[in-house]
Amino acid sequence: MALRAVTDGAVRELMAKLKQEMRVVAPHQREGREQWQFADVEDPAAVALRYTSTILPPKKYAFPTRETLVRYTMGEEFRAEPVVEAEPMALVGVHPCDIYGLQSLDIAMTDAHVDPNWVERRKGMRIIGVDCMPDDWCFCASMKTSTVSSGYDVFLTPINGWAEFVAESATPEGEAMLAMVNSREATSGDLAQVRAWQSDKVATQRERRINTDVNDLPLHFTGFSNSEVWQKWAAKCYSCGTCNTTCPTCFCFDVLDQIELSLDEGSRTRVWDGCMLEDFAVVAPAENFREERRDRIRHRFYRKYAYLFTRYGRPYCCGCGRCVRQCLAEIDPVTVLNELLAGARKEAKGHAL
Amino acid sequence: MLSRAGVSIRALEPDRSLYVPEPARVVRAEQMTATEKLLEVERLSGEPLGHEPGQFVQVFVPGIGEAPISISSAPGGRTSFDLCVRRVGTVTSALHRLEAGSVLGVRGPLGHGFPMDELKDRDVLVVGGGIGLVPLRGVVQAILAEREAYRRVIVFAGFKSPQEVLFRDELAEWAGRDDLEFHITIDRPHPEWDGHVGVITTLFPEVSLDAPRTKAVMCGPPIMYRFVLTECRLKGIADEDMILSLERRMRCGVGKCGHCQINNKYCCVDGPVFKYSELKFMWEAI
Repeated sequence: MALRAVTDGAVRELMAKLKQEMRVVAPHQREGREQWQFADVEDPAAVALRYTSTILPPKKYAFPTRETLVRYTMGEEFRAEPVVEAEPMALVGVHPCDIYGLQSLDIAMTDAHVDPNWVERRKGMRIIGVDCMPDDWCFCASMKTSTVSSGYDVFLTPINGWAEFVAESATPEGEAMLAMVNSREATSGDLAQVRAWQSDKVATQRERRINTDVNDLPLHFTGFSNSEVWQKWAAKCYSCGTCNTTCPTCFCFDVLDQIELSLDEGSRTRVWDGCMLEDFAVVAPAENFREERRDRIRHRFYRKYAYLFTRYGRPYCCGCGRCVRQCLAEIDPVTVLNELLAGARKEAKGHAL
Repeated sequence: MLSRAGVSIRALEPDRSLYVPEPARVVRAEQMTATEKLLEVERLSGEPLGHEPGQFVQVFVPGIGEAPISISSAPGGRTSFDLCVRRVGTVTSALHRLEAGSVLGVRGPLGHGFPMDELKDRDVLVVGGGIGLVPLRGVVQAILAEREAYRRVIVFAGFKSPQEVLFRDELAEWAGRDDLEFHITIDRPHPEWDGHVGVITTLFPEVSLDAPRTKAVMCGPPIMYRFVLTECRLKGIADEDMILSLERRMRCGVGKCGHCQINNKYCCVDGPVFKYSELKFMWEAI
């Protein structure tokens, strides 16, 4: 780990240099809107290093919305071949929550069976993280994802009013990238700014907190299955799946078959799917294991804060706030979790009396 | 880039065949009932599947899609395996159109099957409701292949009507054996039926069980489990000795796609066979 200080100009120069070797993607502001999205870098000067959140998380580069898994020939002879498309890529400007999201999917995609498509895409990926200030929807402090200690090659924390960054390289690849541009040794004054930045980041979320330690959530969830809170929010939910598609830690998919017009070749393509959609748990002929909206909302929350938490050892929520930022019904995980916790505490008090 | 337990994702060399169906062909096809067809399948490689009873395969019909189908034959003895397919959706309808010689794809065997070793030296009660008998046929075949390893074996098979009885010849053979207690019932009286009538739970009073040494293995629709589990409990069988197979929408079959999740379990990799003791606090299970 080396701590250097680089200028904003040097970071943009680095993107220009990386572009000569590989695809470079970074956040860009949508014209005339307070919205950002990850997109291919054409002009490094147009990259928004200072932004709140992108519409979709960067997982789309390791887990595309549509991705061919298998190609096959049919007819007289059936033969199927894997399709694993991966290209070297630098992801620049990734926030800590999104780095946490990518790592969460690393765990899920390599547990028990290793997903070759995810791994090959991730192997070719260089990550340059950048720190941020939370907006009204972020809750990374509660999720303990406001800082990350791995999952990146280089991490940039803004200092001197975004004119410069303290750059920490965490891998040999990161070291090499940092060596491509001019930098200076980070001073103790720079590092003091980094620490201040990190504590400010937590401090801004003092009012927006989940009222328990995140590590206690699986235990709390053992008592939430019959809570009235599920029905309350189910009544507002449109079952549209936006929370699924914008979530950095969601990875459910469906696989569709496509055949060529010639009828002698075809492919199997995976597409994003979402557990909030009505037919997600349907089996033939017509049994739906989560037919009610209440069941699906409850399932999503349990998956995030209990099921996958106990399975993989971390919550499958990074506190990025995308789900509520884009939810038409404003279903806010912080509100829902606090209502669940308050309900359980009220009930516990009732028992004590 | 540490991702889990010190393993760097950059150091992994994944097996690329995870989602790739292996070519196989239908050796024999037999229409069993109006809606069920038996397909004997062999991989073109000629390699035995190496499965255990209760596991499943993802069956792929080129151009149509994949469906999880439980293997209905016991391992051993031959390189082929049996699939019994009920026609309910697109893929299963396509499977019904296949004949001997047709080519298809298979991925698997997948999931965990019935714990045959745990059944050894125990009395075994097998309870199959309708198409639920399909994975259990493999269990019974495996028991019969090594009959002396197990103690008393009782089989309950229930169907809606005489027309829906599966594996007729084989069941007749089981009924004639003296090392297996076979009971069959249909739900409602029928002019062509002179055997036991009533839902499958009405067979329980017919037998006395030595509960502490009995393991019950069962497969059937969710509604059947509710009642059969109760009967087993009334007989005194322990929760960890009730073993059942669940059905869910297993899309990828390898614990990724999320469709088959039952509370904190994935049906495809943690099951489809579970002990009731694992499921009893899971409200989505049964």
